[in-house]
Amino acid sequence: MVPLLVAALASVAGVALAAIVAFLVIGVRSGPLHWADLVLSSSWAPASGQFGAAAMIFGTAVVAALAMAIAAPVGWAAAVAIVELAPRRWQRPLRSTSELLAVVPSIVYGLLGIAFIRPVIATLAGVPGGDSLLAAAVVLAVMVLPTVVAVSADALAGVPRSTREAAAACGLTRTEVIRAAVLPMARRGMGAAVLLGLARAMGEAIAVFLVVGRADGRLPTSPGDVLTRLVRPGQTLTTKLNGPESLLAGTAGAHWAALCGLGLLLLAAVALLTVAGQRRSGAGRPGPWSGWRSRRAGGAMKPARWRLDRSVGDRLARMVTVVALGLTLSLVFTVGVVVLVKGRVALHPSFWWSPPAGASGGGIRLQLAGTTLLVAVAGALAAPVGLALGVVVSEYARPGLARWLRTLTLTLGGVPSILLGLWGYWLFSTRFGWGRSWLAGSIVLALVAIPPVVIAVAAAVAALPPERREAALAGGLRRHQLVRSVILPQALPGLVTGTLLGLARAAGETAPLLFTAAVFSGAPSFPAGIRQSPVSALSTHIFTLAQDSADPAAAEAAWGAALALVVVAGVLVSGAVGARRRMQRYLR
Amino acid sequence: MTAVRVHRLVVTSEGQVLAGPVSFELPTGATLGLRGPSGAGKSTVLRALVGLLPPPLKAEGEICVLGARVDGAGVDLPALRARAALVAQTPVVFPASIMANATFALRHVVRASRSALRERAERALVEAGLWDEVAGRLEAPAEQLSVGQRQRLCLARALALDPALLLLDEPTSALDPAARATVEAAVAGLRGRRTVLVVSHDQAQLARICDDVISIGDDSGGQ
Repeated sequence: MVPLLVAALASVAGVALAAIVAFLVIGVRSGPLHWADLVLSSSWAPASGQFGAAAMIFGTAVVAALAMAIAAPVGWAAAVAIVELAPRRWQRPLRSTSELLAVVPSIVYGLLGIAFIRPVIATLAGVPGGDSLLAAAVVLAVMVLPTVVAVSADALAGVPRSTREAAAACGLTRTEVIRAAVLPMARRGMGAAVLLGLARAMGEAIAVFLVVGRADGRLPTSPGDVLTRLVRPGQTLTTKLNGPESLLAGTAGAHWAALCGLGLLLLAAVALLTVAGQRRSGAGRPGPWSGWRSRRAGGAMKPARWRLDRSVGDRLARMVTVVALGLTLSLVFTVGVVVLVKGRVALHPSFWWSPPAGASGGGIRLQLAGTTLLVAVAGALAAPVGLALGVVVSEYARPGLARWLRTLTLTLGGVPSILLGLWGYWLFSTRFGWGRSWLAGSIVLALVAIPPVVIAVAAAVAALPPERREAALAGGLRRHQLVRSVILPQALPGLVTGTLLGLARAAGETAPLLFTAAVFSGAPSFPAGIRQSPVSALSTHIFTLAQDSADPAAAEAAWGAALALVVVAGVLVSGAVGARRRMQRYLR
Repeated sequence: MTAVRVHRLVVTSEGQVLAGPVSFELPTGATLGLRGPSGAGKSTVLRALVGLLPPPLKAEGEICVLGARVDGAGVDLPALRARAALVAQTPVVFPASIMANATFALRHVVRASRSALRERAERALVEAGLWDEVAGRLEAPAEQLSVGQRQRLCLARALALDPALLLLDEPTSALDPAARATVEAAVAGLRGRRTVLVVSHDQAQLARICDDVISIGDDSGGQ
């Protein structure tokens, strides 16, 4: 009975992923779609039946690659500074601080891009407004920086201390130890950091939407033109899907099929990067053997004539990493201060409790209530599913199946949230006839929250000391009894932490709600049913206000709501951290 | 000439004494054994000699290695470690070829052509008693070696530096009896030609390979 229930709950995640793929395939088959045109042509004109996405593919590739070109070196160097150079007791605080950047919802990064990066590019490149691929890339670079730092730091921390000691015992300087002994072993994990960051950058819709300019059909005409294109408006796959066309296309026919084709391309690219990144990210695993050889032949074996004096090189390398760490920390500080100062209207309690007024905002009472409802229901849906899947992955499944389920979970976690939103719109709003419905929004947000729950639960169960498990089995417990009295209590901290972290992410999501659940105004303070019962949410509220950035009142309200959203996400995350600490103490 | 002079060395961790007080001298050219029960802090003392104590461990007292005050300000620890090479208890090989492991330290510390580095590494492999077993496969991954061979590869990595002092931490304790015999033979072969400090809990072994043995931790073994 128990295993059946667990299996049923666990299969929800697999079904959801299959449903998203199926939805896109059905969409593609609903109309004539020429894949060759879609990939190769750059002319996108729905009215005349032209669907060429080459410019969007170019935009996506350029924006993501440029973002990683900025974030990867900074993130790598910052991770080296944290793990290898900082005093041990500073490591944890430094890591937590750099991860604060990940707490900030993407819509807030969009606002930051509008307020700071667009004007800089407008001035430097002489582009009116400053909407450009470069602006999107810079915003994304800041967004994916915490991912690069966290995954790289894990890889570095996984290199055994004996390796460092053996290298240092031969008389290598600190920098030489890192370069010759630590980095070759952490290289795989640090490469994974880039793949995962790239996946995140490609799938991000909202922050890019606000600063990229959304101009169709802009492809460089010559190699030299590529640089010029960087500071001109462009379009990416996600911003096209996030735009009004998705609502205007109907849910069948050539236009819809082309949009679903874009979705499939995006999903394939992101899933590939996510799976490849996760496969590589094992901490401290040495890279493939051939990598070491080529590295040795290329660099370190050269006669030493050209090398800098050793102590000078040591100091120089240290300085570079410390500067990178300083940059990361000052970004955290700057983002924090900017949100606090610009969103100061939210420091008045009245902003939180008063109802919205007119087109430029007012208070956020309804939005706060709406976000709370969406997130609470999403949590109630995600927690049991995530718990069941986590227990299946770590306890019931055979190794092969477990690995497959893990990959499936991570792929679900990597699905761009705009695709989740479109799927919810197609299934719930259109097929089920719910229209805009809070329940549709909650279900889609639950899918956002499930992967973190699974990962945290599986990690908690994996930390179970084998003796304790053996003692229970030696006492004659059956499998389900073991699960109930040993595994579940062990998984509980993981469940609480994972759920809160998942909900923090869900609370900041905008794209899944735009088409499924949220309206800017006219939502009741509490929904009366499921059909045609929209809510207002903080994230979509900011999204709408942000596009009206000429109105100072709207901008003020948007920043106030942004501060409120950061506070909501921050409360959930610190709750997760607090819960983990408390329960660990209790279990020990 | 004294290679190592230690006077009232105490290693503490957040105020708690982990090892010591220890005092001894090692004359140049001699092989000295450091004996004591498990947990007496033998390996800790050895690491303190080259400034490799993991935090929060701290060394107090006077440590003078190859004429340098290890605890003094401005001491160039990497340079000291290249002259006083430590071989740890469990062999650490880097994921690279056997030759790359043997030249691992050399490439960073010594400025010479690639062929000169190889030559030195080959001599070290001979001295460590490993040459006959690996001569035909120097470019093979070092992970293919057995534990006993790995331990001798680590010894060769240290010997390649032509160190003025060799510090061996329980060189045979991680090994099975057959491998132990080969490593012990390799260490015994260094006697009289190198200055060596060996740490071991095996009294009989120390008697076989050392000129002199001192013991630590006998009267403070309860800690």
